[in-house]
Amino acid sequence: MVIELRGIWHKYPGMAAWALENISAELTSGRVILVSGHNGSGKTTLLKIAALLYRPLRGDVIVDGQSFWEMSEAEKIAARRKITYVHEKPILIRGSVLENIAYPLRIRGLDSRNAAERAEIIMEELELMELADKNAKELSTGQSQLVAIARALAAEPELILLDEPFAHLDGERSRLVAAALQERRRNGAGIVIASHGGGELPDELEPDEVIVLEEGRIRR
Amino acid sequence: MSQVFSEILDVSLRSIYVSGFATLLSASWSIPAAYLLSLRRRVVVLEALIESLVGMPTVLLGLLLFLLLSSSGPLGFLKLLYTPQAIIIGQAILITPLIISTCYRALRGFATSYLELALSLGAGRSQAVMLVLRESAPGVAASTIMGFSRAVGELGIAMMVGGNIRGFTRVMTTAIALDVARGEFESAIILGIILLVLMIMTAISVKILMGVRAQ
Repeated sequence: MVIELRGIWHKYPGMAAWALENISAELTSGRVILVSGHNGSGKTTLLKIAALLYRPLRGDVIVDGQSFWEMSEAEKIAARRKITYVHEKPILIRGSVLENIAYPLRIRGLDSRNAAERAEIIMEELELMELADKNAKELSTGQSQLVAIARALAAEPELILLDEPFAHLDGERSRLVAAALQERRRNGAGIVIASHGGGELPDELEPDEVIVLEEGRIRR
Repeated sequence: MSQVFSEILDVSLRSIYVSGFATLLSASWSIPAAYLLSLRRRVVVLEALIESLVGMPTVLLGLLLFLLLSSSGPLGFLKLLYTPQAIIIGQAILITPLIISTCYRALRGFATSYLELALSLGAGRSQAVMLVLRESAPGVAASTIMGFSRAVGELGIAMMVGGNIRGFTRVMTTAIALDVARGEFESAIILGIILLVLMIMTAISVKILMGVRAQ
């Protein structure tokens, strides 16, 4: 899968400054891309545009050679199903941890038993089994982040975009997530990670490319 | 005595039926309106306008509806004046700003986040809307219950467009007003207690539902 961002400009309503200015980038399967930059540099906006959630004010988002925002509704759903995005502040739905992780599988039409079985595989990988039946709203921020990442992985996307995935995780959990992402990369998935400041990633996850954002522009 | 109780029961059930129907009717347009409002930015003026209508005097709305529905009014041909349907329409209009306003507050910020979450996980538009509704259900239900509470306790509309006709449009509030005017305080007090219990039960339901939402 290839997502091309061509000359992207984006601004939020009521804001004078551009959040992104003339951004062009290519996000492809099988690669790890680190998007680095300080707070407010436009990392989240860039990821949300790449995740096909925000429509840029100018420029085009090309998914496998086709302009995403020109696609039919069915084509848009098919394109979005190849991608998952993990928010910086994890958003969990009401219900158990297992139900949260099974959610993307359920909306793809899997029955509850198959969805639960596949969710359990991811939960074992990220050592979440003991939280399976726990109310998702009662988790700590770190646990919530881990569940949100597990949920994104459960859908087996071709491209995974993660906004500050390691911000709330301790060293051991960070390594666990990094190893899981590395495994997906080996299997052909693309990984895009937004990280503020220096943008250090755990050793298990070496980026193939680093995009540095500064006030909405790519620093060359 | 049994006739008094039978009348109290009749009036109480009619109140619940009329206000319950008005609440469902109002919710059918107020909840979608609140949802659409919650997806928009910069709705301060609209928000202020709706909030200002929450406290609209029921007699004023009753008067407007009376003028509309009276035989010489523009909607007189519908022959709705002094029918339970007229009270239902009036109460539904009365509680619309309240349901939109409280429901909007329950959905604000929340709808956008969950809509985005669903889309980011591969949901179609209808699946995303379903997720938003599922997640916001306790808050939305609490708003609707508040609407019912306001409808069942109002007097002006029921009196002006219902006419307080015995066995037809008489509801708890109009019955209490009539009983007090007649000096029949016993049945007025019983109806008052029933109304109060209904309000308290409604308030408790709202608290419980809001508690569920906070989890």
